[in-house]
Amino acid sequence: METIQQFTDYVSANGGYIWTEFYRHFLMSVYGVLFAAVISVPLGILIAKYSKLSGWVLAAGSIIQTIPALGAMAVIMLVMGLGTNTAIVTLMLYSILPITQNTYVGMKNVDQTVIEAGHASGMTRFQLLRMVELPLAVSVIMAGIRTALVIGIGIVAIGAFIGAGGLGAIIVTGTNATDGTAIILAGAIPTAIMAIIADVVMGWIERRLQPGQSA
Amino acid sequence: MLRRGVKSMLACFLILMLAGCSLPGLAGTSQHTIKIGSLTQSESETMAQMLAIMIERETDAKTELVTKLGSSIVQHQGMQRGDIDISSTRYTGTDIAGALGMEPIKDPEEALQTVKHEFQQRYNQTWAETYGFENSYSIAVTQEFAKENNIETISDLEPYAEDLDFGVDNAWVNRKGDGYDGFKEAYFAFGEVFPMNLGLVYQAAATGNMDVVLAYSSDGRIQEFDLKVLEDDQQFFPPYDASPVINNELLEKYPEIKEITQRLSNEISTEEMQQLNYMADVERINPRKVAKQFLEANNYFEDGGGD
Repeated sequence: METIQQFTDYVSANGGYIWTEFYRHFLMSVYGVLFAAVISVPLGILIAKYSKLSGWVLAAGSIIQTIPALGAMAVIMLVMGLGTNTAIVTLMLYSILPITQNTYVGMKNVDQTVIEAGHASGMTRFQLLRMVELPLAVSVIMAGIRTALVIGIGIVAIGAFIGAGGLGAIIVTGTNATDGTAIILAGAIPTAIMAIIADVVMGWIERRLQPGQSA
Repeated sequence: MLRRGVKSMLACFLILMLAGCSLPGLAGTSQHTIKIGSLTQSESETMAQMLAIMIERETDAKTELVTKLGSSIVQHQGMQRGDIDISSTRYTGTDIAGALGMEPIKDPEEALQTVKHEFQQRYNQTWAETYGFENSYSIAVTQEFAKENNIETISDLEPYAEDLDFGVDNAWVNRKGDGYDGFKEAYFAFGEVFPMNLGLVYQAAATGNMDVVLAYSSDGRIQEFDLKVLEDDQQFFPPYDASPVINNELLEKYPEIKEITQRLSNEISTEEMQQLNYMADVERINPRKVAKQFLEANNYFEDGGGD
């Protein structure tokens, strides 16, 4: 009970600060996933077209995924220094696999007869990609971005240790205080809420983009 | 066409990164942003906030805090890379052993002069005057015990030492130089030594489970649990006086910062820092507010100190 009281006291006294860090945390997560998408979606399309590459690329992605985020961040820090950019690049690395994999699967699952029909009606390869394959695969690709974003919000929390700020900084403050449970919650609960909201919103977009639902 | 777009976006992104610029919304690292790095401890963040408030008050520069850095070595590397321009708190004892790799120096004044000189020479950084507080190892007893037996210094404990239980931080016991072995040589041995997690030490003393404890001198919990820090009359523990460290390039650009550090020098005693740490660690007040309140109460040290 006392913790709940301390929690509400802390939140009401530091609402502005928590909001600033929330926004910062959100931006870092979005940038990381966005840049990862810029690389991974074309990469996914590429390996769907040239299947020989797919094994290698997906294996490389999986290997990156096994490195603990804290360790990766520390190594990247040596090259890039302290601050938000390091956190964003780390998140980008961890987002590459889910997005590439989903793009690959989405592209592979497009019905071959539809592609042949497009081809027969005289579409170029680029037209085929833009008008047939991508629209049919886009909801699966979005599912990958959704996964990446939800994981990413968790990874960015570690960014506090390399001076990136964000909600992780509030959690670390709590671990240093005498009886810091309330402060830890003030950092952890918004992080969880952000991940849930991201999941719900992205899920909604994903459904809207499902072929046959709209358009 | 698609690939060219991707390439150019990637190129833009890389340029952004290499130029050390930030992405929109994540605080500008423009020419006019001064970055202040602080450690995980509250006192480091509080001092960073004080510097930030003072700098924004006195100059047209903006400040940005890089908080929760793991250790003074991280601060040091950040300073050298230019990721941060100011370290909010650096401690003489820590950096003589850490960044400079020298033998411990027991005299506080000599230690301070050494780091000032070496940082200027080796790293082109200015180690400013101390704030006035230190965060060193120290020996503490309950106020009650001190009053009853009239104890002021560590040597005063000697007659009682055999019957006293000594609660210490796990990390300290086996420390070379200023650990327990060194302590026994300089002073005396206690009846029994109980190594434990630092978080438990203060409480153990307050509840009477321990008679004497090893404490960090600026920790707010010394106040919370009503402990008395004893004077280190043999000067056994090396000094850990806190100062800000500033890159010289920044000082050339903003000479006002030198004046700010001079105004803050020797203004905050270890007892005052204990109070500020108490506010942050025990009362859970945000370091920014702690810093602002303290500066307002002292009129931003405009008249050469409000004490």
